[in-house]
Amino acid sequence: MILDLHTHSIRSDDGRAKVDNYCQWIRKKNIGIDGFVLTEHRQWDDESNYDDLADKYGLVILKGSEVETDYGHVLVFGVTPELVDAFDFARVDNPLGMVLEAAAQTGAFAAPCHPGRKNVGLFAHYERKGEVDAVHTVEVLNGGSIPGEDELSLSKASEYGYKGLGGSDSHIVSRIGYRATEFEHNIKDIDGLVEALKSGRFRALDLQKDQDK
Amino acid sequence: MTSDITDGLDEVKKKWEGVEFDLATFEVTEQKMLAWAEALGEQDPRFIDPSHRDFQAHPTFCTHLVSRRILPEDFPVLGSSGIDGGKAIELHVPVRCGDTLEAVAAVAEIYPKTGRSGTMVFVVQRMSFTNQNGETVATVDWRMIRN
Repeated sequence: MILDLHTHSIRSDDGRAKVDNYCQWIRKKNIGIDGFVLTEHRQWDDESNYDDLADKYGLVILKGSEVETDYGHVLVFGVTPELVDAFDFARVDNPLGMVLEAAAQTGAFAAPCHPGRKNVGLFAHYERKGEVDAVHTVEVLNGGSIPGEDELSLSKASEYGYKGLGGSDSHIVSRIGYRATEFEHNIKDIDGLVEALKSGRFRALDLQKDQDK
Repeated sequence: MTSDITDGLDEVKKKWEGVEFDLATFEVTEQKMLAWAEALGEQDPRFIDPSHRDFQAHPTFCTHLVSRRILPEDFPVLGSSGIDGGKAIELHVPVRCGDTLEAVAAVAEIYPKTGRSGTMVFVVQRMSFTNQNGETVATVDWRMIRN
């Protein structure tokens, strides 16, 4: 099963895509993913329910979050009320170690995203402030990366022994599925996704070339 | 690590979010409606033909109606520079020729964000438009980015 683990809808302040338009685009263009995770910026979207859309289009649609820390942005999957209470999702300076620890303690899965970004990515922060021990997985393929960033993410992830996942970081419909993550088994819900991520049995994919044909 | 622009931001949010600071009225004329639609290159006759039975202002019409002040008079200067982050409009009922719109400007939201260019603060000015019948016509959010 292939999921795009990093997408934004109009619920993010810079998102321009409606979730139903994502679904229509995936089916219209035969995008090679089985579903996607909405990771809205600096918030936990507890209101939206995409079950009807998921049924209508035969897609897995899950919800996570993209929070901001002193080491860059972090994707969080398996958000619970306990995790929402653990730190302020709206802040831009949450300590990375605290976010990772809170995620682990509440059963969630957290991974820094676009870590190869110049100045603001995880690895740029590593050069200035040193490594954070609790990091185990990073987003090595990001659809919003400029040349050189994913290459740095991949090489540094290998150097540190991190697992790598992929996501499009799409904010408009035509970019969904540019990057994704392939899992060995089917995933039906957020618990299944968290379990699959914790198992480590996944790999990042670059699907952009297929879509640009 | 927190950059300087976010220092004291919690207090700024607490003081200013939700504060209404201006009120303005706008007379909607055929000339203004046509000028806006034509400037956009609009071809739909509903917006460019006054004889059309459903003639109305282009849905984005209210985005170019601005208050006399952008932000409250004593609103703090955040950061050293800024750019226009664009406008978003939620349209509730059509704007018609002859309408008188009353707009209230408020500071809707202040929030930080980090990206490739570092830490920024977004200040959202919201103009809420009502017509002479008391109907809420449109809500326009103008994002101003400070860094």
